[in-house]
Amino acid sequence: MSFEWPWQYNFPPFFTLQPNADTRQKQLAAWCSLVLSYCRHHKLYTVDVMEAQESPVFNNKKIERKLSVEAIQVVFEELRKKGNLEWLDKNKSRCLVMWRRPEEWGKLIYQWVSKNGMNNSVFTLYELSNGDDTDGEEFHGLEDWMLQRSLQALQTEGKAEIITMDDGKGVKFF
Amino acid sequence: MHRRGVGAGAIAKKKLAEAKYKERGTVLAEDQIVQMSKQLETFKSNLEEFASKHKQEIRKNPQFRVQFQEMCATIGVDPLASGKGFWSEMLGVGDFYYELGVQIIEVCLALKHRNGGLITLDELHQRVLKGRGKYAQDVSQDDLVRAIKKLKVMGNGFGMIPVGGSYLVQSVPAELNMDHTVVLQLAEDHLLKEGLAWLDSQASGEAQYWLPALFSELTSRDVTPEEANQMSP
Repeated sequence: MSFEWPWQYNFPPFFTLQPNADTRQKQLAAWCSLVLSYCRHHKLYTVDVMEAQESPVFNNKKIERKLSVEAIQVVFEELRKKGNLEWLDKNKSRCLVMWRRPEEWGKLIYQWVSKNGMNNSVFTLYELSNGDDTDGEEFHGLEDWMLQRSLQALQTEGKAEIITMDDGKGVKFF
Repeated sequence: MHRRGVGAGAIAKKKLAEAKYKERGTVLAEDQIVQMSKQLETFKSNLEEFASKHKQEIRKNPQFRVQFQEMCATIGVDPLASGKGFWSEMLGVGDFYYELGVQIIEVCLALKHRNGGLITLDELHQRVLKGRGKYAQDVSQDDLVRAIKKLKVMGNGFGMIPVGGSYLVQSVPAELNMDHTVVLQLAEDHLLKEGLAWLDSQASGEAQYWLPALFSELTSRDVTPEEANQMSP
């Protein structure tokens, strides 16, 4: 299914950072939403800022408008404040985009565990993200760094415990 | 002893004097009318001469047309007062503005779905010129303004809103309420401050301002009123 662009995407001023504070708030909210849904659709987890400039998200060739690097940074900062983005380096050149936050992933995983009556079972991380049993689940194929954070969130909630095994990490669900 | 005239005779005399004065007054008025008629005849023949000498000029040259209009205004004449009037017949100016009015309506109708019935005088001018083609008479913005004023008189729902030195031409009857009109009359800065307009700094040439409420051209679907509201306070 192809990605459906929101109507703002074809509105030329959308690609200019608005001077009016109230208008800018609305604009940034729309941009955050667009970035997250685009990443979700394409299952993107990491974004390189330089590459992002040329991506169709920030560059609408049809109306000949693109978001400037400064504006992209502002959008990313907004996402970071909302807990949807994390910088991987000090220079802010690469970031993790969490279109679903670790807590939300944790919840999904725990729901699956409970639904299948697998509480008190132990899984390797690999089994969870790539096992046959989880095929078809949304968290199937989840990247390792995100999986670990999700499980950590569950651990904080007392619903799981991360354990170290011989060949890697595992998790026990309660 | 000579008595003062207070008798019947005196009254009769007085009446006769009054009657004579009245007659004189009538004669005077008649005189004036004759004079005026003579002047009008002269004026008319001068005008006919003027018309034949400058008719071409009036039709071809926008600057001349403006000056002509101003001259008419100072002597209290409206050459466009009626399509079949003395003036328009004499000078053939009425047709020109009538045809222009039709063209203006055509342009506005063609673009209404896109701009909601609001167009800048600049854009209207460009499009009218394009529509007239290379060999047609040149048309100035002053001509457009006059033609639009005539359209207003016919009750076509046309209006002009002064904005930043020029005009916005409104071709939908009374859709903008007072608040919007007032805002539109302010400079573009104020539009931004009100949050009604968005800035586009990547347009070719100078910065442009867009009103999301009037933006309806999209790839997949039209903006619903809710979505338009999302972008305005």
